[in-house]
Amino acid sequence: MTYTSHSAEETQKIAADFAQTLKGGEFVSLIGDLGAGKTTFTRGLVQALGGTVRVKSPTFTVMNEYPVDHATIKRIVHIDFYRFTDTSELGALSLEDERRPDTVILAEWPNIFTRNPIVPDRTILLEYRTIEERQIKIN
Amino acid sequence: MRILAIETSCDETAVAVLSGEGEVLKLESSTVRSQIDLHETYGGVVPEVAAREHLQLMMPLLHKEVAPDGKGIDAIAVTAGPGLAPALRVGVETAKALAWAWQKPLIPVCHLEGHIYAPWLTEIKDERGKIKVPEFPALALIVSGGHTELVLMTDHGKFERLGETLDDAAGEAFDKVAKMLSLGYPGGPKIAQLAESGDAKAFAFPRAMLDRDNLVFSFAGLKTSVLYTLRKHEDRLNDPKFKADIAASFQEAVVDVLVQKTLRAIKQVKPVSVILAGGVAANIALRERLDQACQKVGVPLFVPEFKYSMDNAAMIAVAGYFRALNGHTVKPTDLQADPNMDIV
Repeated sequence: MTYTSHSAEETQKIAADFAQTLKGGEFVSLIGDLGAGKTTFTRGLVQALGGTVRVKSPTFTVMNEYPVDHATIKRIVHIDFYRFTDTSELGALSLEDERRPDTVILAEWPNIFTRNPIVPDRTILLEYRTIEERQIKIN
Repeated sequence: MRILAIETSCDETAVAVLSGEGEVLKLESSTVRSQIDLHETYGGVVPEVAAREHLQLMMPLLHKEVAPDGKGIDAIAVTAGPGLAPALRVGVETAKALAWAWQKPLIPVCHLEGHIYAPWLTEIKDERGKIKVPEFPALALIVSGGHTELVLMTDHGKFERLGETLDDAAGEAFDKVAKMLSLGYPGGPKIAQLAESGDAKAFAFPRAMLDRDNLVFSFAGLKTSVLYTLRKHEDRLNDPKFKADIAASFQEAVVDVLVQKTLRAIKQVKPVSVILAGGVAANIALRERLDQACQKVGVPLFVPEFKYSMDNAAMIAVAGYFRALNGHTVKPTDLQADPNMDIV
């Protein structure tokens, strides 16, 4: 599916619709340039799943987790690979421990590695068009 | 009352001992071990790596600060959140174990509350010889890598959030722009340094939310705007003057927004003191501009000493002390680290 968003609010709405297709246990790749709206998308998704905490970009903290209130999904793990340079550094994140049936993992910048370290269940592509406009492709 | 305080919310392992009587505080010791070198490899703080380092440092630090039987300590204060879950847990579980073993009260402290209390760690006296600390109601602007918010403090332990960032924190915007300019990590001090030789009016970066009559911040658009300006001038990326102008114009945009919103909050809630707290309080341009603005409206600005604007346990001890005075203690078994803990 390909969408065109004209505002941060619209990007969050698209994310909310996408959230309804999740069951828990998924690994979602979020691909897009700086400022394309990856964190905005995550915010919309967390809110749609009943999360009330503020979603922050995980660039500085590498990995954030947010509790959510959904029938089968209880936790969103939000990762940012932006600062990583090599998959050998991934051990520090203990990703396999984070992958649980009640958890959805959203990973920004999996494309920073030459090969995606984890095969994603879903992929979101966000593309900057103009200051306001973004193209969002969901696979 | 003598307080032992522990702070492990991010990448500093910190322990402090503070004694107090009424309003008079005395900081006996404060140790901070930074892990910055360790995380430089990743360019950011990796939670599990931070936690392992906290674990290694915690007991040796405690051993230096307090007697093994806890003699002379009346209460234990610990940062319970917000922060990185695995990192927070090291401090919280240590504090719980000590409180349980020593049979002492345990005081959970919000990390942001700690930052607000940093100006209490001063020895500056007024003309009557009284230590100069903020009076209530106090307006606090908290700016760090993880936070940008305006909080009203009406009394010890009583807080009300007036506004916060909708997206990136100001410190985070500094880090990201530093990365775009290949300045390295942490970005705040590097941008500030480069900005000194740049022209702050060279580029008109957006001041988000300034036109709206609220106390909400947004820095994501500014970051994007810097990125696309750099793209447009790719051929000048190695020109030091160009980079300095970008840094100066970017910093100016951040400072403008922070100062204007604080002024708006002063008008709204009429505080008798203003506090600038958090790691970005170390930014000289911000300090100076906010100080001028506060002087103009006649409200004193309190800025913590540099060593207390960064993460430390002394500020947690002060917050914990005032919480203890008001009986805010918990049973060791009842406390859990809360990575998303809120100040209100």
